[in-house]
Amino acid sequence: MASATAGPTPHAVSAGERDASRARGRTVKRRRDNRAGWAFVAPFVVFFVAFLVVPIVWGLYLSFTATSLTGAGNHLVGFANYFEAFGDADMWRSMGNTVWFTVLSTIPLVVVALAMALLVNTGLPGQWLWRLSFFMPYLLASTVVSQIFLWLFNPQLGLFNHLLTSIGLPPSNWLNDQDIAMYAVVGTTVWWTVGFNFLLYLAALQNIPESQYEAASLDGAGTWRKLWSITLPQLRGTTGLIVVLQILASLKVFDQIYQMTTGGPNGSTRPIVEYIFESGFTGYRFGYSSAISYIFFAMIVIISIAQFTAGRRGDAIARADRADARRRRAAVRAATKGQAA
Amino acid sequence: MSPLSRRQLLVGGASILGGAVLAGGLTGCATGSTAASGADRLQFWHLLTGGDGAKMADLVKRADAATGVAAQQTVLAWGTPYYTKLAMASVGGRAPDLAIMHASRLEGYAPGGLLDTWDDDLLAEFGVRESDYPAAVWKKTFVDGKHYAVALDAHPFVQFYNTDILDKAGALGSDGRIVDISSPDQLLEVGRAVKGVTKTHGISYGYLNDGANLWRMLYTLYRQQGATMVFTPGKKAEVEKDAAMAALDFMKTMLDGDIAANAADGGTALAEFVTQKSGIMFTGVWDTPSMKDAKIPFDAQPIPPMYSEPAAYADSHTFVLPHQNVVDEQKRRDAHEFVAAIVKRSLSWAQAGHIPAYNPVTDSAEYKKLLPQAHYAGAADIANYDPQAWFTGAGSDFQTAVGNALQGVLLGQTKPEAGWDQLMGVVNKKLSEPNPAG
Repeated sequence: MASATAGPTPHAVSAGERDASRARGRTVKRRRDNRAGWAFVAPFVVFFVAFLVVPIVWGLYLSFTATSLTGAGNHLVGFANYFEAFGDADMWRSMGNTVWFTVLSTIPLVVVALAMALLVNTGLPGQWLWRLSFFMPYLLASTVVSQIFLWLFNPQLGLFNHLLTSIGLPPSNWLNDQDIAMYAVVGTTVWWTVGFNFLLYLAALQNIPESQYEAASLDGAGTWRKLWSITLPQLRGTTGLIVVLQILASLKVFDQIYQMTTGGPNGSTRPIVEYIFESGFTGYRFGYSSAISYIFFAMIVIISIAQFTAGRRGDAIARADRADARRRRAAVRAATKGQAA
Repeated sequence: MSPLSRRQLLVGGASILGGAVLAGGLTGCATGSTAASGADRLQFWHLLTGGDGAKMADLVKRADAATGVAAQQTVLAWGTPYYTKLAMASVGGRAPDLAIMHASRLEGYAPGGLLDTWDDDLLAEFGVRESDYPAAVWKKTFVDGKHYAVALDAHPFVQFYNTDILDKAGALGSDGRIVDISSPDQLLEVGRAVKGVTKTHGISYGYLNDGANLWRMLYTLYRQQGATMVFTPGKKAEVEKDAAMAALDFMKTMLDGDIAANAADGGTALAEFVTQKSGIMFTGVWDTPSMKDAKIPFDAQPIPPMYSEPAAYADSHTFVLPHQNVVDEQKRRDAHEFVAAIVKRSLSWAQAGHIPAYNPVTDSAEYKKLLPQAHYAGAADIANYDPQAWFTGAGSDFQTAVGNALQGVLLGQTKPEAGWDQLMGVVNKKLSEPNPAG
């Protein structure tokens, strides 16, 4: 920049020198700024490298070795761990459990959160009470939630079986029935974490301009029409965000399952994260455990890409729709203008 | 919600840092309060919490006073988390000087070089010899002929009973102890009679989501039939399926909803027994303090021999020397002296329900007066530990696999044959793999 402004005349040369020295000053200043900047990000960078970059690279290396917890077997074995994992029925079953949990939990965690937010936003009396009670469970530690629900699901003393038997239904074994345990865990998870999504939706709802509803009312739109044509489209962005966050959170499930069923009964709720933990820390096989982690990692990447593309296609459709609507409006305007003329 | 301002962030960050400094200062105080500094003290890790933890803390204090060895306890969560951390600490070269380990886990740790051996001469110098131990317990502290552990106790699976309720059910002898039971059918009959008194259940037994407790009862009944279970790496498991089927069949019959609840976990079973809604409970000796606290009239005995021979599942808490890259001879000597001092004072450990392994303690007059402990002390002589293998033992993958495969059998969801075959499938797979720690 500075050299570009420097002209050929003596007068301009001195001006150029001035500019150049100013530029030098700027560079020094920028360098000093950079130093300060680096100083500010250094703590993060140190943690990022030490606890994310290094473990990721190290884990990838481990996945090609037969390393055990004790450090024995520290030699390269090629893709043996990966081949073993692909043929490991328990690995696939755990992966399936994680995916099934994600499907089962994500849908209610979005739909229920939206329903609760819409209800609260209708202006019920005692809004703070609803907000508080819907959000409160989210603040509990996973251990607390697990304990509460272990007691509720207790086959002998639990509230749920008490309710079932009091209305004449047979009691259930809940967490100890292979066909029911996963649903029980999903129910617990929904109760626990729906508050966060609810809060996101509520905030988004309160950001929709009132004028849009007024305009729609003037055009004679009823409550349902306003919900379908204003509220839901305006929540599109938030819904996309919630779905992405929720899928990632659900794929990582571990705490409540480990605490409530330790993956049982008979592995029917064991998520892939627990299988990774078991392979490495109780089975001592770090190499194998790392290989499974990377398979899981690959799966998450695939899901993310799929989601991203689906999201983009959705956006493209929405853009096309909007363009379409603009064209139609223009056509209508043109037509009415023509009529007026 | 307003975004965090920079000032809030700085104040928050500072308070976190301050907290860390404070916490550091506090631990510093705790370790510095005695003469020796943290690093110089004998580092002792264990997994004993609750009543066991309090008793151990007391024992450590008394052994410290008697020997002048300043031991520093570190208490970690029972089971998998503890054993994982212990192994990693040994691998990382930061192992404690001394640790508690279940005897059943030695096989998984010793061959991998995670443990060092005890010096028998030094132990004898401090008064701990082979002749001071029940043979079954002493033998269990060896792996491949090397002495890796000093046993503190044996803690078998036993039978508790409520004397009041059993008296009413006509199941109490003239000596005030439960009548002799010599067959499975007879036990079921007594269970039914007791249910007639309590109206809820006759027997309490919890196994839900607790493969360990399921295994303890199953293995007791299995071994009582004289059946053996041998796991040899590289070979298929040598088991007697008929005996396993008979044991599972008996357990299923017992868990019929009348004699015992069909589906209960350990906590529920204990609650039922201490609120006198049942008259008999099958559980480990460690539940003794809870029953004492409940102030119910109760006694206990080893599981009655219902088949061909007496046998009881048991495990032992033992002291081990985690492997040190560089051995500090003074600390090694201290560890020997300290462990000998604890073992000799283990009468108080008996109050936690465990049977002290050191014979001079169980032979003492004070112990004989301790009830119901003295009434089940004989179970140490018929102690049966997990089949030896690197993947078996307390809190191991094997016990988890037992729960996975057989819980469904007891709940009536799986056929006994299918459940057993599933378990053997897991065991045979493990046997075909090399010991990853070896």
